Amino acid sequence: MALKSVENPDSRAVSPPVTDSSERELLDRIVRSRDQAAFRSLYGNYYQRLTRLLSRMSVRREDIEEVINDTFWVVWTKAAEFRGASQLSTWIIGIAYRRALNALRRARLRPVADEPFDEDSVSVGSSEEGETNEQWLALGLESLPMEQRMALELTYTLGHSCEEVAAILDCPVNTVKTRLFRARETLKRVLPELAGMPGDKS
Amino acid sequence: MSARIPDTHAEAWALLPWLANGRVQPADREWLEAHVQDCEECRAELAAQRLVASQVNREVAESPPAAASDEQRSFNKLWARIEASESVATPASGTSGVAVVMPRSSRTVRWLAAAVVVQAIGLGVLGMAVNNRAGSGSEIVTVSDVEPRRHAPAVRIVFEPGTPVASMNTLLSHQGLSIVAGPGDAGNFMAELSADAVASGASAESVAAVMAKDPHVVFAQPIAR
Repeated sequence: MALKSVENPDSRAVSPPVTDSSERELLDRIVRSRDQAAFRSLYGNYYQRLTRLLSRMSVRREDIEEVINDTFWVVWTKAAEFRGASQLSTWIIGIAYRRALNALRRARLRPVADEPFDEDSVSVGSSEEGETNEQWLALGLESLPMEQRMALELTYTLGHSCEEVAAILDCPVNTVKTRLFRARETLKRVLPELAGMPGDKS
Repeated sequence: MSARIPDTHAEAWALLPWLANGRVQPADREWLEAHVQDCEECRAELAAQRLVASQVNREVAESPPAAASDEQRSFNKLWARIEASESVATPASGTSGVAVVMPRSSRTVRWLAAAVVVQAIGLGVLGMAVNNRAGSGSEIVTVSDVEPRRHAPAVRIVFEPGTPVASMNTLLSHQGLSIVAGPGDAGNFMAELSADAVASGASAESVAAVMAKDPHVVFAQPIAR
């Protein structure tokens, strides 16, 4: 097999517009013929997404590649066992999430979720301080406990439904709703503009 | 079957993030949108969540993606790991030192069967040679004489393409390693630890860990023997 012959032509795309059916075709090729090109394409579809997600989980930079490759090692070895009961993306990102938790444990890094959130540690933003809403929002996102941050990232960055987020995080749907509810409340305390936002009647 | 209509403010409030990202369940969409239409508080919250969603995505769009070369290098490492795990690298049973790399388990059985046949023929030829030369005093070199330390700790290594031979040799000699097989189909080598290196406390695991950190090395893994 030619190791260097398969390059991903669109590997710089942040979030390639791939459909579940096209990804399942890739998975089928992997199962049927151990197709390296299909495996490379699937890897490329997730590399940027997982890199971002794992960095949001506070996985150390040097461990991110290992977590992604451990994830795709499972994809390669267990591809035939994927029954299609869920979205392929839910399966792959769920594997990555659990692998990342293991990496955090191994590195003896306590996930932020283990630490109580100190609301006083995040100042209230104001335009007088020269900070933009975007900057304060980014700060607020960083301050969220890890599990809340993951629920928010999976919902808004990766565009998953509530049920898919629950499958990835391996928790009940109501737990996902609660985590996002708390994340929203926290962000409002960080950024009062969010709390006072007028509703439009459109 | 009629759609479920909870129409409670609390339940609508909890689902607003998925109305904002367009992934609310079809069964919930109708009553949820109707509620939001009439609830000023939910409309304000929906607008707030859309702002959060757009900001999060703007941050993603503006952050530089990981370099394509990083992605390719990561994939190469993974592929080398897969190929190494699916291959069985063994030293050649002759004196040439040529590697015998057996791809996957389904093919391994066939290869092993073929190897047994070849070995049997070789033993027959050797036996005839011994009989013909009995009493002549000539020495017979056996496979075990060629490799007296068959069970020395060993590692499987894949070097970056283009790594100069001199660099490979330097890396290997610093760790007390000698190539005993390779390269295989995936460019993988099998290297054994010298007796001196073992005596000084080196193990296949420790040497593989050191080798794996070298920029010339794509993959290094101890071999269970």
